[in-house]
Amino acid sequence: MESMSAVLKSGGALFSGAEGVIQAQVRQEDKTPREDRLTVGLPFVDDARMTCRGVSVFYGEKHAINNVSIDVGRNQVLAMIGPSGCGKSTFLRCLNRMNDTVEGCRVVGDIQLDNLNIYDRSVDVVPLRAQVGMVFQKPNPFPKSIYDNVAYGPKIHGLASSRAELDEVVESSLKKAGLWNEVSDRLDQPGTGLSGGQQQRLCIARAIAVRPEVILMDEPCSALDPIATATVEDLISELQEHYTIVIVTHNMQQAARVSQRTAYFHLGDLIEVGSTDRIFTNPRHRLTEDYITGRFG
Amino acid sequence: MLVGKKESTMDRVNRGLARRYRRERWFRLFGLSAIVTSVCFIGLLFVSIGANGWSAFQQTEILLDIHFDTEQFDVDNLSTANYGALVKNSMQTLFPDVAGRSEKRELSKLVSSGAPYILQKMVMQDTGIIGSSQKIWLPADDEVDMFQKGYILRDVMEGDRRLSDKQIGWIDQLFAEGRLEKKFNSTFFTAGDSREPELAGIRGAVAGSLFTLAVTLVLSFPIGVATAVYLEEFAPRNRWTDLVEVNINNLAAVPSIVFGLLGLAVFLNVFGMPRSAPLVGGLVLTLMTLPTIIIASRASLKSVPPSIREAALGVGASKMQAITHHILPLAMPGMMTGTIIGMAQALGETAPLLMIGMVAFIVDVPTAVTDPATVLPVQIYLWADSPERAFVERTSAAIMVLLAFLISMNAMAVFLRRKFERRW
Amino acid sequence: MWKKGVTLATAAIIFASAAANVSAASGRDYISIVGSSTVYPFATTVAEQFGKTSKFKTPKIESTGSGGGMKLFCAGSDIDTPDITNASRRIKYSEYEKCQKNGVTEIVEVKIGYDGIVLANSKAAAQLSLGKKDIFLALAKEVPDPKGGEKLIANPYTTWKEVNPSLPDSKIEVLGPPPTSGTRDAFVELAMEGGCQQIDWIKARKETDKKHFKSVCHTVREDGAYIEAGENDNLIVQKLEANPKAIGIFGFSFLDQNGDKIQGSVVEGEEPTFENIAAGNYPVSRPLYCYVKKNHVGVVPGMAEFLAEFSSEKAWGEEGYLADKGLIPMPAKERQQFAADVAALKPLLMAK
Ligand SMILES: Nc1ncnc2c1ncn2[C@@H]1O[C@H](COP(=O)(O)OP(=O)(O)OP(=O)(O)O)[C@@H](O)[C@H]1O
Ligand SMILES: [Mg+2]
Repeated sequence: MESMSAVLKSGGALFSGAEGVIQAQVRQEDKTPREDRLTVGLPFVDDARMTCRGVSVFYGEKHAINNVSIDVGRNQVLAMIGPSGCGKSTFLRCLNRMNDTVEGCRVVGDIQLDNLNIYDRSVDVVPLRAQVGMVFQKPNPFPKSIYDNVAYGPKIHGLASSRAELDEVVESSLKKAGLWNEVSDRLDQPGTGLSGGQQQRLCIARAIAVRPEVILMDEPCSALDPIATATVEDLISELQEHYTIVIVTHNMQQAARVSQRTAYFHLGDLIEVGSTDRIFTNPRHRLTEDYITGRFG
Repeated sequence: MLVGKKESTMDRVNRGLARRYRRERWFRLFGLSAIVTSVCFIGLLFVSIGANGWSAFQQTEILLDIHFDTEQFDVDNLSTANYGALVKNSMQTLFPDVAGRSEKRELSKLVSSGAPYILQKMVMQDTGIIGSSQKIWLPADDEVDMFQKGYILRDVMEGDRRLSDKQIGWIDQLFAEGRLEKKFNSTFFTAGDSREPELAGIRGAVAGSLFTLAVTLVLSFPIGVATAVYLEEFAPRNRWTDLVEVNINNLAAVPSIVFGLLGLAVFLNVFGMPRSAPLVGGLVLTLMTLPTIIIASRASLKSVPPSIREAALGVGASKMQAITHHILPLAMPGMMTGTIIGMAQALGETAPLLMIGMVAFIVDVPTAVTDPATVLPVQIYLWADSPERAFVERTSAAIMVLLAFLISMNAMAVFLRRKFERRW
Repeated sequence: MWKKGVTLATAAIIFASAAANVSAASGRDYISIVGSSTVYPFATTVAEQFGKTSKFKTPKIESTGSGGGMKLFCAGSDIDTPDITNASRRIKYSEYEKCQKNGVTEIVEVKIGYDGIVLANSKAAAQLSLGKKDIFLALAKEVPDPKGGEKLIANPYTTWKEVNPSLPDSKIEVLGPPPTSGTRDAFVELAMEGGCQQIDWIKARKETDKKHFKSVCHTVREDGAYIEAGENDNLIVQKLEANPKAIGIFGFSFLDQNGDKIQGSVVEGEEPTFENIAAGNYPVSRPLYCYVKKNHVGVVPGMAEFLAEFSSEKAWGEEGYLADKGLIPMPAKERQQFAADVAALKPLLMAK
């Protein structure tokens, strides 16, 4: 299945010149017929938690994701990498229907969670989002106290029956996110008063406080220092035992450290998927190779 | 680009620097002068209104020795006693020389025509005073008051002023005896309207304004906010909602009298609600303020960052939860500002109220939203149009009260906004 | 907070409709009066007096203007409509007809007194002595060609001296009420048309072309010599004080109250004094009326008593409290007659 023949037809001409040339070629390449753009690697797994088939996303006229098919394995970490603007966030947001909130955004194709189409009319997004939690690319704490930020999810879902239980959930979530030591003495202060990195960890704590089964993380460490990054990565490894995680990252080392599988996106296309070890040691597609060796993007 | 002369970037930057700063200085000067000018105008307005109006807070009163003669009173029917005679008699004893019908008439005109009713009220409240003699301060007639305040001059010809030389002589005598004094005009704050300036007060108009505004607030705030939330958060974007939006924006610019006509047609003629009632006034002003509130509320909903919405939805809040828990509280200061601006507009409105009968002479202070009532700006308008000179100062004084209301409303807006904002 | 708002709103709406029903069912315990702003100061004085001296509530008086008042008054005969309307002119036949059509069949007409319309200027300037013709020539839009002939030209006069050599050589600058005002109607009719009639060839037109006659005599110039100063007469008085050259037109009460600042102009040799207007000598004065719905008497409490108060000597008599407020009383005989008509509730009969 992982055959070189699936490489883009015009691939040969693609990587011959300077960056400007590549861009020009790529734009031209966009016009090539859909059937020719097949994903390299192993997009499908046996024990899939989520399955995506032929997913395309449009922002109005703009075609942001092209016919992507991929599985997310149970209790696995899937890393999504790719140059800026290639559609990683867009695709990630399809997985818990956050794109519903975007004006003019249209999703086609089939996305299943535990064999249930989440885009089905009968599906209620509220429990779906409790099940599939999300950490956004930009930290977005509520303008409320640190405590309320973390406690909000458990509160609305009725996950804690007493104040003490809620306190516990808040504490453990903050600890997991590596924020507890910094904020334990000022839980009543506004979450917006934290530093950018602290805010991002607060958002992680907020997401995991609901105990979602699938966690979507959009560049959770982009604003963090190496120590905090290490904490979050530890958290991911820990969570992975029970949860399914999809993480977007620009940090190749991070992808290598935390994920089992990696997907490489390029201009809305899913170019290559495979086990993380294989992608980083032996990329099959030229685009993937150029990206991970730092020649591109 | 750089041909010939070699010029460093810093040279170019420095060359332009003076001009850039000059521009900034000019802009600041402009802004400052605009603010100074407007502050000057406002100051001028306040000073002129204050100068005209402060004297209305005082009222000339005359000290009379009233003898409540037992023979005058029929205990079963206290209201029919001749209280006017009590006043006349006591004036008579002060000036025993005054004789003749017309001269006596002139003398008794120095005391307000409302004085007998004040005595009546006293007797009704405490029948014990019948038979006794009391020293009582009673309001002087408005002409006397104007004279004391210097609005009627001594040196104009007798025929050209409304006080005769004789009357002025009596006033001087009363003043010399310490029986004529300017006192704090509590009537102005406790009485309803009257055609006698010395008996007129703003209590009725203030109560009417409060009732009207209460109805307006109770209706327009929830309806306005609900409409804004629906349009902003729930309504699909299509031609219908565009139409609704255009219409709302249009309504904000419709002259307010149109709402009065609408109120007349709908609330009075169709629903048969009472004329001149604060209830109807409030309904009409609700129609008028709704567009303001809706537009302000929508703007403040729009200004809530979408990331907050996403954050709430992302942890599994329903749309309604995201709105009530996060978006509304954040938009609330803006909504309240809009509402208070709308309320302030409504407080100053007279035109639509004309149509529903609130431009009226109403003596009794309203006690319910269905009682006939008028409002502060209408009272100002009616007094401004009255021939009696003493109403001039009362007009200004009423404007001062209206301004005080507006200022306190706006102060409240600022206070509430601060309070809400501090919570985050 | 959100839910509270919704609940409040619902409560308010329920409350509002309940209140409306209550009031519609229970009728009215106070007299409702509408109409002219000229009569307003007098009617309100009576109302206040009535409220204080009787066991009834003080009547409510709206200042809607004569025409507006008629419209409300004639809208129907049920209890929601006003009981009395004031007018600074007589009811028009068209209004009478409308009343009849809407079931207001029996109307009692009460003339309450007279109002003088005065032309006045600041005491700082000399008093003017004007003829009606001078007023017409100074203020009409079109006047007869001063060169002679039966031709109308746009008003060429800029100073009073040009109008009449005996008048001072000062600019024509008249501050007066806008066309919406009843004072303006009366002024145009009494002063301007009066002056217009003194020009024989225009008067002759009255027979042949009534419409044209009216438009010539009633149209006020619009070139800035006549300044519409709004409905507020106090404002006109203030402006006269500031500008001694200007002349103002307003009701007698305002002259009465401001005798120290302004002086009334003599018209046709008559000073605008209380006595002169009362005696009917001063030419620019008009009667003031109120109209009463007969079928409300006995239904709305206090109607008969209020009318009695209004038509009592202590109110509208020569020494009455309305005279203090600037109302010019009718002659004694007229007063007696109207008082009797009111007491008997004699309905008005009007023919076209
Ligand atoms: N709301 C939107 N409306 C229109 N176009 C959008 C919208 N959001 C994203 N896009 C476009 O879709 C494409 C994919 O965007 P996306 O945010 O998914 O990129 P990304 O891979 O996450 O990039 P980055 O690494 O910079 O976050 C981009 O070209 C972007 O301009
Ligand atoms: Mg992104």
